[in-house]
Amino acid sequence: MTVTQTRSAVTGGPGTEQQRRRRRPPNVPYLLLVPALVFYAFVVLVPTLSGAGYAFTDWAGRRETPGFVGLDNFTELFAAPAARSALRNTLIIAVSTTVVQTLIGLALALALHSTLASRNVLRTMFFAPALLPPVIIGFLWQYILTPAGPLNDALSSIGLGGLTQNWLGDSSVALASVIGVIIWQNAGLTMVIYLAGLQGVPPELHEAASIDGAGRWQRLRNVTLPLLAPATTIALSLTLIGSLKLFDQVYVMTNGGPGYATETLSVVMYKEAFVSGRYGYSTAIALVLTMIVFAFALLQLRGLRRYEVQQ
Amino acid sequence: MTIDHTRTRPLRPRPVRARRAALTTLAATLAASLTACGFVNSDDSSTEDGGGGSGTVTAYVNTEQNAGLAPLVEAYEEETDSTVDVSSANTDELNQQLRVQLTSGTAADLIRVSPGNSSPVAAGVLGAEGELADLSDAAWTADLSDDTRALAEVDGQVLAFPVSRNAIVMAFNKQVFADAGVEVPTTWTELIAASEALAAAGVTPIAAPFQGGIYFQFWVYALAGTLVYAEQPGIDAQMEAGETTFATSPEWGEVFAKMADLRDAGFLSDGMLGLPPDQGLQAVATGEAAMVLMVSAGLPQLYGYAEEGAEAFDVFALPATDDAGATRVPVAPDFLAVNAAGDQEAAMEFLDFLAQPENVEEYANEMGVLPGLALDVDLENTALDPIQPLLSEGRSVAYANYLWPNGDVQQTMLQSGQEWLDGAIETADLLGQMDAEYARGRS
Repeated sequence: MTVTQTRSAVTGGPGTEQQRRRRRPPNVPYLLLVPALVFYAFVVLVPTLSGAGYAFTDWAGRRETPGFVGLDNFTELFAAPAARSALRNTLIIAVSTTVVQTLIGLALALALHSTLASRNVLRTMFFAPALLPPVIIGFLWQYILTPAGPLNDALSSIGLGGLTQNWLGDSSVALASVIGVIIWQNAGLTMVIYLAGLQGVPPELHEAASIDGAGRWQRLRNVTLPLLAPATTIALSLTLIGSLKLFDQVYVMTNGGPGYATETLSVVMYKEAFVSGRYGYSTAIALVLTMIVFAFALLQLRGLRRYEVQQ
Repeated sequence: MTIDHTRTRPLRPRPVRARRAALTTLAATLAASLTACGFVNSDDSSTEDGGGGSGTVTAYVNTEQNAGLAPLVEAYEEETDSTVDVSSANTDELNQQLRVQLTSGTAADLIRVSPGNSSPVAAGVLGAEGELADLSDAAWTADLSDDTRALAEVDGQVLAFPVSRNAIVMAFNKQVFADAGVEVPTTWTELIAASEALAAAGVTPIAAPFQGGIYFQFWVYALAGTLVYAEQPGIDAQMEAGETTFATSPEWGEVFAKMADLRDAGFLSDGMLGLPPDQGLQAVATGEAAMVLMVSAGLPQLYGYAEEGAEAFDVFALPATDDAGATRVPVAPDFLAVNAAGDQEAAMEFLDFLAQPENVEEYANEMGVLPGLALDVDLENTALDPIQPLLSEGRSVAYANYLWPNGDVQQTMLQSGQEWLDGAIETADLLGQMDAEYARGRS
């Protein structure tokens, strides 16, 4: 009995493991988590919860206790033409960038998942904009898109003067210009996600499909795309959530203008807080934006997970 | 069994050590978190108690003020053995941070505030909330010009010190004017004639870098100075009393009618809503455009774009009528105020130092601006000489937005103003929107 136990102790047998588990106080791992949880609570949870509370007040950033106004902030938000316009712009940006950026990213990934000699250079080139801070991108494109800027100059010099526009100063094209910049910056990131997904597609499947007589398009549709479903989930989720929260590039390039043509909910939120000093109202906008992002993300993830399972 | 028992004994203290370590870490984290959140005071020098007699004045100013104050801070520290600890940020950032700092009790003793009620951190707004110290007993208050006093006072108390004043001026490229045979216009008709001549010479008469709306507002304030405030000096009081509005005021209607005349005649830059300020200034510097309406504080930036520097440009006050004597020049003070919760005594002593005539003069010359106080000082910078006669005759007005009840009226004017410039809305719509924000500010 003693020998057996000793051997089991030496070999690390199950009996010893059970004894060790019994001896280890069960709460120590949880205690070790506490510092991080406390830090997270103070940095994220408490401000989030208190922020949600401020959304129902008329707080103007002053010392005195803010007054409770019920749903007034939300009523005003959905009644104000500027806020409704910002909500519409936000949704247009979110949907268009998500769809177009995903398609471009996928096309780039498929094109560069090849034996092309320059593929690494091209991958780096397309991915580089995603590494730059959005504010820098904003300033860069603000300059490029001015009426006498490089883009119009380039169009004129190649005989396409008829296509020149006041890209950021004409309310009919300003939003499309902003969307174009967002796609230009982030398509490379989507490409990298799809490239990672393509690494996981076994070449044997393509070979088998080729032997069965499947053409390039059929292999793409029936082999590659289904296996890229997880990558699609990640790419779509990141793009949608990012574009719903869009602030930096819009603020730098147009400040929401001309007029209200490119204003997003994030920009309105910023202006209400820091220009108008209406922190309560601004927090209500933040809360609505959070709900929108949460709802979109939830719906999208559910749909995409179902798609993944089907594939 | 005995062997096992012996072998396992040393293991027993481990959980105790682990638990103790975890608890110690937890306690340290809690202490750090509570300290960071302000529940535990880890600092002896709280800003709440004023900290009087520390020998240090803290100041939070904008970048322009920081540049002008630097030599004066040095002189003050030498003279008094005190320390002036200056932090600076651009005005937008400062405005965003200052209210949070005031609310949390971490604001500096001396702070830059906007004039009137023009932002959430304007003298009028913060003064009404009791955030600023009363400076009425200072000797320099006798040297406040009338237009500055109107913006520095709240309920009869002087709450702000003007380090300088800026004017809205029309800067022009002298060579472009000479090439087109154009003289400096002193009336509206002359301005139109000059613009026609410049356009005929193939030059954009007026650079209009209206992206963002900042330069658009200068036009509103400059035209309103002559068309509204020269005609109706008491219009702010009337509007506050609800006796008139933007939409019902013929004078305000005329401001935008004049602006529309310039736009419709094609005298403003093509693609004005997509033109950033720096490119507008560059267009004037390179001669592509002839004039630009701007604040005098921006003149050094304009000079920097031309090889000849300041020599290439001159300025004039924007006329708005055919009576040259009726023209007013809008002037804005750049304010410092004393945080009521800070070291008031030390901050006021520093302001008294800044108010000495030689220091007012030094700041103005350092920055190329108008002196903040109405003192007779020798200005080395001659850039604003053309508008000095107007200032001497008292033909200056404050920017129109300073006495509007909040910053939202201006914000609406900037954004809806772009729609108006684009032809998307009519003047009545724009003025109606401004009225709506004004009414909300009064309620």
